Amino acid sequence: MSLLEIKKARLKLDNKNILNGVSLSVNAGEVHAIMGPNGSGKSTLSYMLSGREGYELESGEILLDGQSLSEMPADERARSGLFLAFQYPVELPGVGAMSFLREAVNSRRKFIGKEEFDHLAFVKEARKEASKMFVKDEMLKRAVNVGFSGGEKKKFEILQMAMLKPKVSILDETDSGLDVDALKIVSDGVNAQRSDDNAIVVITHYQRLLDYIVPDFVHILSDGVIIKSGGPELALEVEKNGYAGMINAA
Amino acid sequence: MLHNKNEDYIASVNNYVSGFNDNSFRKLAGKDFKSWPDPLEETWRLSRLGTLARKKIEPIKINFDKSVKSNLNTIGSNIIKFFDGAYREDISSKLPIGVSLKELNETESLSYLSKIKNTNLKNHPSTNASLSCTPSIIKLSVDKNTKILDLIEIHYEGGEESLSVHPVLFIELNENSSLSIIERFNHLGSLIMPLQLIDIKDSASLNSIKIFDDNHKSYNLSAHCVFLSQKSVLNSFSLVKGSQFTRSETHAYLNGKNSKLNLNGVYISGDKQHHDLTTAIYHNVPECVSKQSVRGILGGESTGVFQGKVRVAPNAQKTDGQQMSKAILISDKASANAKPELEIYADDVVCAHGATVGELDDDQLFYLSSRGITKDKARLMLIKAFLKDIINESVEEALHDFIFKEAQFSLSSILKNDLVV
Repeated sequence: MSLLEIKKARLKLDNKNILNGVSLSVNAGEVHAIMGPNGSGKSTLSYMLSGREGYELESGEILLDGQSLSEMPADERARSGLFLAFQYPVELPGVGAMSFLREAVNSRRKFIGKEEFDHLAFVKEARKEASKMFVKDEMLKRAVNVGFSGGEKKKFEILQMAMLKPKVSILDETDSGLDVDALKIVSDGVNAQRSDDNAIVVITHYQRLLDYIVPDFVHILSDGVIIKSGGPELALEVEKNGYAGMINAA
Repeated sequence: MLHNKNEDYIASVNNYVSGFNDNSFRKLAGKDFKSWPDPLEETWRLSRLGTLARKKIEPIKINFDKSVKSNLNTIGSNIIKFFDGAYREDISSKLPIGVSLKELNETESLSYLSKIKNTNLKNHPSTNASLSCTPSIIKLSVDKNTKILDLIEIHYEGGEESLSVHPVLFIELNENSSLSIIERFNHLGSLIMPLQLIDIKDSASLNSIKIFDDNHKSYNLSAHCVFLSQKSVLNSFSLVKGSQFTRSETHAYLNGKNSKLNLNGVYISGDKQHHDLTTAIYHNVPECVSKQSVRGILGGESTGVFQGKVRVAPNAQKTDGQQMSKAILISDKASANAKPELEIYADDVVCAHGATVGELDDDQLFYLSSRGITKDKARLMLIKAFLKDIINESVEEALHDFIFKEAQFSLSSILKNDLVV
């Protein structure tokens, strides 16, 4: 059964059609990559999936593990197991990274009927996961994303993913702003979480990220529809010939 | 004598000083108390005193035999207590070596008066009413080359309905000394008019925290006059949460090169409260730094005001003057006003100001929601963070928790009406 099902999703922003009937089915254990040129609707798709206000579907449906998300606000989607790694993680001055993480993780645990972490147990757990992502303890003492480098921000996103254990993760341009070393750490972090119980959707401009997080399927998004789907070789084709040829052919 | 109702209080102040010698500091101050500030006057336009002027209030008469009961707990062991605006030695503690406290005599009080009268606080109602009616001017001073490590607490309590109180203080830090104080205003009275002159000599440094938490029917009109000498530092933080109407006005004169002023504050306002932080900073010499950061959280039908003037004199080159005010409105009926004003007569300066008034940031709210945190919880986290951020920036670390708790207490009471948590 698919963990994420997008059925003919249509969405308008400012009266302009952005998504024009996107359909996608992602099964447990799979990694899908969505590629597309600027303005193809990639970021809109990620906001729509995560339930950002103002990004409601005009028609169509989204199902997370069989459950409809249409009427569900962002926080409930997250607790239900949907995760968005932001292209530009937001700074939260005054909100400590550790207490933020704990609040988020306990919200999800409570929702799925697991016992909430107490303070000490949580700190231990967070440190364990953080060390796997090469996130320093010192970073967890700072305010969320404040004074983090580009690489640190992305590592912190993936650390959240690791701790929230979502069913479906959407990684929006996770490679942007990363140098090769940081890209490797972040990708290793993502790969470590691939399992038969979850699924990952990688949204990216470039093929580069897909050398590190190798997808099972690649989809080309253009003008708000998926114009072509295939295996990893499709990403190489984009790298070689650009999007233009494919878009014209479609 | 016939007078209209708005002048009742003014008449009672004049009556209070009538028995004093014409050349006494009280009589001289009282003579200048002729009217309440005109609401058309620019600095009082956003904080009008019409309702106060119509109230029947008179200056309190001090009874030193009255036994007094304090409602404030202390943090440390160095406490100075004022009750009904009068210094009470009987309930104050001993002070550390190097710190002294005394009442000014008539000559010294006259000199205090003339110092204030040379500033732009000369016509402030608290200058004239409080110098007329204060039990005495109290001087707190630190010897030169003396660093006081213990925190000094000053508590202002007492007061009664329909009466005004007039604590007047002179804080003097002699050369190369340092001091940290925390002042808490917790009066019951109707009108609280604290007046302070703070003189920080060469290379001396003062950390000052003020918590305005007088009863919710009262008016607190505070006036502070600060003189900074060469290489001196003032770090000041105000938490305004009490009274029906609080206006804390600070005029700071940077008179010595390389002096440094941080003047930060937070107001937390609910119901129909009105909170006003007004500042005027005078860069009179080159190479001084002034930084102001003010935040407001407003619920109910409250109003907040931050007006800050920075004046840079023609010779005050290399001045660095920064001002920032941010207010968050958590109810539709609350409002905030920010009025920065730069008057720059020198050409080689860095001055900047900014102001924002609005709701919480959408991107931040979405980020928290996308992590499973409910919308109300997310809003609460951001509001607390907004507070914590400025407190951590402004206050020494040992006092972070204390100040945050003081702020949070008011926050909970204003949030319960506007936010389900």
